[in-house]
Amino acid sequence: MSSSSPFIPSLEHLTRQRGVLGSLVVSETDGIVIDAVVQPSVKAPVVAALAASLYRRARQSAHAAGLGGVKYLELVADGGRLCMAGRDDLVVVLVTDTRVGVGLLRVELLRTAAELPE
Amino acid sequence: MSVSDDIRRWSDELARSPASMVFLPLGEALRTRGQIDVALRVALRGLERHPYDADAHDLLARIYVDRGETERALDEWDAAIRCTPGHAGALKGMGFVCFNQGRIVDAERYLAEAAAASPEDDGLGMALLRVREQIANANSTSAPEPVPVPESEPEPEPEPEAAPAPSSVGNGNGNGNGHGDPRQLFADLIGVADQAALLLDEDGLVMAGQYVVSDGMDVGAEVGAALSGISDEARRAMRHLPLGDWRTIIFETPAATVVMTPAPQDGLVLVAAAPEVPSGLVRRALESVSQRAKRWMEQLS
Repeated sequence: MSSSSPFIPSLEHLTRQRGVLGSLVVSETDGIVIDAVVQPSVKAPVVAALAASLYRRARQSAHAAGLGGVKYLELVADGGRLCMAGRDDLVVVLVTDTRVGVGLLRVELLRTAAELPE
Repeated sequence: MSVSDDIRRWSDELARSPASMVFLPLGEALRTRGQIDVALRVALRGLERHPYDADAHDLLARIYVDRGETERALDEWDAAIRCTPGHAGALKGMGFVCFNQGRIVDAERYLAEAAAASPEDDGLGMALLRVREQIANANSTSAPEPVPVPESEPEPEPEPEAAPAPSSVGNGNGNGNGHGDPRQLFADLIGVADQAALLLDEDGLVMAGQYVVSDGMDVGAEVGAALSGISDEARRAMRHLPLGDWRTIIFETPAATVVMTPAPQDGLVLVAAAPEVPSGLVRRALESVSQRAKRWMEQLS
């Protein structure tokens, strides 16, 4: 990824948090990676596609249920978490292991998403 | 003006005038945005300057609830009531916590006092109504000659941890007894303020619980059908990610915080709450609801 990307400083900051394996900015519409800072074990294109699909489905479902747009989504699994926050078509995605302090991370993620360009 | 603008404006004002009461809306805005630690610092500094302000104690209490520190929250609400007897926010908060702890009678008392102090709060009126319905249900299904049981002792049931019988009716104290009406299966587990719980089958059909909105309509079927698709997507994603099976999905919208977890037989349990309900409490409510749903389904099968 290009180090000149405006997203890289934020993604690097997120990936430095304890338990975070990688952070990505993805396009919700087509699931492609816009930018990513991930550890070698994380397959960024796969994560991007799946996370975008999940976020899109959650947004559509929440809308259908009359709940409005999704601003934060967290999937907790046996081996870690996917945390997401979006703005327009962009979604910031975090992949974490189980050691993560999710309260702080949620705040950081929402802050990063709020700073995404409209 | 956006919330961010408000926060910036209030922060500037507080910097100029540290004794300003603007820390109250600032702390609340930060709390609502999930910036709990910052909100806590703002509230504590405000309380240093205004130790006898009931609203400040109320703010700090709600922040503690967000952090899962319920006892501290109760202490702060107690302080708020000592500063301003009949403080509606504190009474409402204490009622909410009591309800979540299964102390239905205490919850009714606090909520009734809160409703008297704040009669324009429609949500409070609905919450009180629900609590009183549960108390009435519990009374109507109790034994003809009940034996008084000290609060500190367990009820004299042979197997208090046993799964409930689906045909029995819960006693409203949150100990997991069964319910005759599946719609009321989780009624004593979820909070009093705009919370809902549903058990859905593999097709997204409601098996138990209800999702009642402000006009009294149960929209559980619609909400359940729409949200059940998220779990299918999660299951698909987990097949390709090295994270194991999914356990919980949480999402936040302007209208609600929703948490969901798999139920037996490819079902789904979900709890929804108004966004002002602390997310930590919503997550805890899901655990209780999920356990009861599991026991109830075991009884069904």
